[in-house]
Amino acid sequence: MKGIAKSLMVTLSTFTRKPVTRDYPNYHRELPERDRAFPLLLWDKEIDEPFCTGCHACERACPVECMTVLMKDNPNHKSNGGDSSRRKIIDKFWIDYARCMRCNICVEVCNFDAIAMNNTWQGHELSVHDRKDLVMDLEQLLVQSHVGAIKEWVPVLGQSNETNE
Amino acid sequence: MNNSLFGFEINVWFDGLARLGLIVGVMTVVAMGLIYGERKILARFQQRIGPQKTGPFGLLQSVADAIKLVGKEDLRPTAADPWTFELAPYFVFIPIFLGFVSLPFLLDVNIRLLELGLLYFIAVSSVNIVGWVMAGWGSDNRYAMIGGMRAAAQAISYELPLVLSLVVVAMLAGSLNLKDIVEGQAVVPYVVWLPLAFVIFFISTLAEMNRPPFDIPIGESEVVGGPFVEYSGIRWSMFMLGEYASLWILSTLTAAVFLGGYSWPFGEDLGKGYQLLLMGAKSGLYIFVVFWVRASIPRLRIDQLMAYSWKVLLPLSLAQVLVVGFVRVYELPDVVLTAAGILGLVALVSITGRAVASTRRLPGAARTMRSEAA
Amino acid sequence: MVASPQATPEHEFETQDLLINVGPQHPSTHGVFRMVLTIDGEVVKDVVPYIGYLHRGAEKLCETMDFRQGIGFMDRTEYLAAHNAELSYVMAVEALAGLEVPERAQWIRTILCELNRLSSHFMFLGAFGIDVGVFGTPFIYAWREREAIIDLFEEISGDRMMYAYFRPGGLAWDVPLNFKERVREVLKSTRQGIRDFDELLTQNEIFRARTEGIGYISAEDAIDWGMSGPSIRASGVPLDVRRDEPYLKYAELDFDVIVGENGDVFDRYYCRMLEMHESVKIIEQCLERLQPGLIVPDKMPRMLRAAPGEVYIRTEAPRGEYGIYMVSKGGNRPYRLKVRSACLSNLQALRQMSVDQYIADAIIVLGSIDIVLSEVDR
Repeated sequence: MKGIAKSLMVTLSTFTRKPVTRDYPNYHRELPERDRAFPLLLWDKEIDEPFCTGCHACERACPVECMTVLMKDNPNHKSNGGDSSRRKIIDKFWIDYARCMRCNICVEVCNFDAIAMNNTWQGHELSVHDRKDLVMDLEQLLVQSHVGAIKEWVPVLGQSNETNE
Repeated sequence: MNNSLFGFEINVWFDGLARLGLIVGVMTVVAMGLIYGERKILARFQQRIGPQKTGPFGLLQSVADAIKLVGKEDLRPTAADPWTFELAPYFVFIPIFLGFVSLPFLLDVNIRLLELGLLYFIAVSSVNIVGWVMAGWGSDNRYAMIGGMRAAAQAISYELPLVLSLVVVAMLAGSLNLKDIVEGQAVVPYVVWLPLAFVIFFISTLAEMNRPPFDIPIGESEVVGGPFVEYSGIRWSMFMLGEYASLWILSTLTAAVFLGGYSWPFGEDLGKGYQLLLMGAKSGLYIFVVFWVRASIPRLRIDQLMAYSWKVLLPLSLAQVLVVGFVRVYELPDVVLTAAGILGLVALVSITGRAVASTRRLPGAARTMRSEAA
Repeated sequence: MVASPQATPEHEFETQDLLINVGPQHPSTHGVFRMVLTIDGEVVKDVVPYIGYLHRGAEKLCETMDFRQGIGFMDRTEYLAAHNAELSYVMAVEALAGLEVPERAQWIRTILCELNRLSSHFMFLGAFGIDVGVFGTPFIYAWREREAIIDLFEEISGDRMMYAYFRPGGLAWDVPLNFKERVREVLKSTRQGIRDFDELLTQNEIFRARTEGIGYISAEDAIDWGMSGPSIRASGVPLDVRRDEPYLKYAELDFDVIVGENGDVFDRYYCRMLEMHESVKIIEQCLERLQPGLIVPDKMPRMLRAAPGEVYIRTEAPRGEYGIYMVSKGGNRPYRLKVRSACLSNLQALRQMSVDQYIADAIIVLGSIDIVLSEVDR
């Protein structure tokens, strides 16, 4: 009976504490900068074109094969009178978000830092009525970086923090 | 033949219909309020917020639920027994309705003041078990059948301590009329003279309502809702409504029989406002404790449940009847009753605490350094 | 043993046993587990478990993946303790590839594994509380604490459940700068959470009456069934891989192996409860000894290749011994991978533990061995 009374007192004490649940759709918790939602492509603001050169590295490294990449000659390249140093550039890019398992490998293998994991709430709130709508094309993948919606955090792989503590 | 309702002289049949409509209306609203209250209070016990989206503070949540339930398809499994299955909700629902008849909500505010009100209440309150068994049997589902059988066993076991603790009150009040019982407590509520009976009554009502820790028939984690497992839509909501209606009935009865109803401590001539306040506070307290227990205590097992009723509660309530009889016959002072009741409570608490084998050793740090098994 | 429903009764009043099907869609089967109970009244006469509803072929899939890609799949074999599952895998790869893990990475791994043990045990406490029949309260308490730990994991690795944070050789990237303070914060709320549970359940008479003496399994039988983790320690076998075959930094840490005596549901519950205290103790020691340093070896090969050979690495996951048997024929992917699942072995003893108990007990016996179906089926 003492134990039952103790149980009752515990629940009474939580009755007086503040609720711990968050009113989710109305209140969005601030996400840490390392948050990994789905991968998206980054926009090179200096030259005004995507970083991605369509080198297929991420496509080959993806464990679930959710990416499709096509490259083309860069019309903006210096040889064509443009101001970009990229000879090749991304033509078409699809990522099937429904297949992606968010393992971060595409970010790690990218030699151009052209792909990053979305760390905003837009990357999480992706419910759609048709799973075909989760296949993102190049425009959808670039738009958030283009408007500057994502926080920059590129993982420094395998290296300690500078101050380390 | 005319009756008076709110001061109007009206035909008996019309009067009956009006009172019936009144119960249905008021009871539905109160049950919906209780459902909302339970969800909010339980949420607070668990550090949640509870319903909040429908209306201000989620007040319309029960209305939304009701609309959804009424709109749902009324399913019946093909193999179910049609008559048993479809009639079962009524057999649960109607006896609970009947229980309202003799309850003294406020002074002279009741459906019909019966001279044998307590007896009547005891009689109708145990009928709804037929509906539970029908629902369990008619659903053609094994979970439902186990649940129905458990409900029957439980109701029969706990009806006895419940009735015996009410008998004690009737002995003390010298009347079965609930109005007389309330008036008998104008100075001191019976809970002071009969603490043991009150505790036994409280435990038995929890079992009667199939509330935790006695929610064995509906045990969500074992038999997945028990007799209700195949019901949906309006029929399921009838069970639900019946559950909360009986919660309201039993809270009112507890307030009236043990806690002094509308008369203690302000007396009954201070007007309806005070009486409403008193009844609201007393039954609200009862309801709050029921929710509180639900949030804190694990479910008993069926054999422990039966054993607790037959081996602990029943002998203690029989002893209580004997003691009250002695005190009444030999006209001993009422304090003897309190003393006996407290003694009984101590016995109850110690027997309940004895359920745990305190001699066993709890797990602790290993004394050997290497495992023998490796 | 299994009753045949078609059997014709010889006498008019002969009774038949009833078969009830629990799961795969039952609130208390902790996922998609199915068991068919043969009951006589309220007493369980026989239990036939069915598994395989969640089989995804993770082991076979990993044989087509290189070592880095496989980590994500290991997360998904045990989603409640993904750090521990990753750990076995990367340790197997390290053993084959001959990598030396730097100190700092090992300390961080130890901290994260113990935090994950805490979060997993909280999950157990919550689910077990519901099995025993408290309406939701322990579950919300458990999630309250688990949420704090998961938030911390999210700040470190970026994901809440499928971390993919341990890599062959060390860690993917370093922990944030405020790591120590954050862990201490989490431990503070964790201690409060454990205390809440202790008061809510452990002392409660009804809880004790429900769990004591239920689902007994003797030490010999537990060893015979190959049980491991808290489930076998509750039977009195002090088997803990952390102490018997120390990996990571466990050899330098001071902690107790919690051992029960009675081998029943209550001991399995309380062993886990005490283990959480031990985990807190371990994490505190680790935090004191965590020094700046490298998190991957200096000479990390750019292309990870394993030497031919085979290796079996076992670690102490929250549910028991999580082992990885990996065969390599050289190259960057395993030739064969087998996961030794603690849940599967523990689950095998289910029948022995729940026969001749009540239906309600069969449910809590299943809850007490704390299965994760994705680990059972893989």
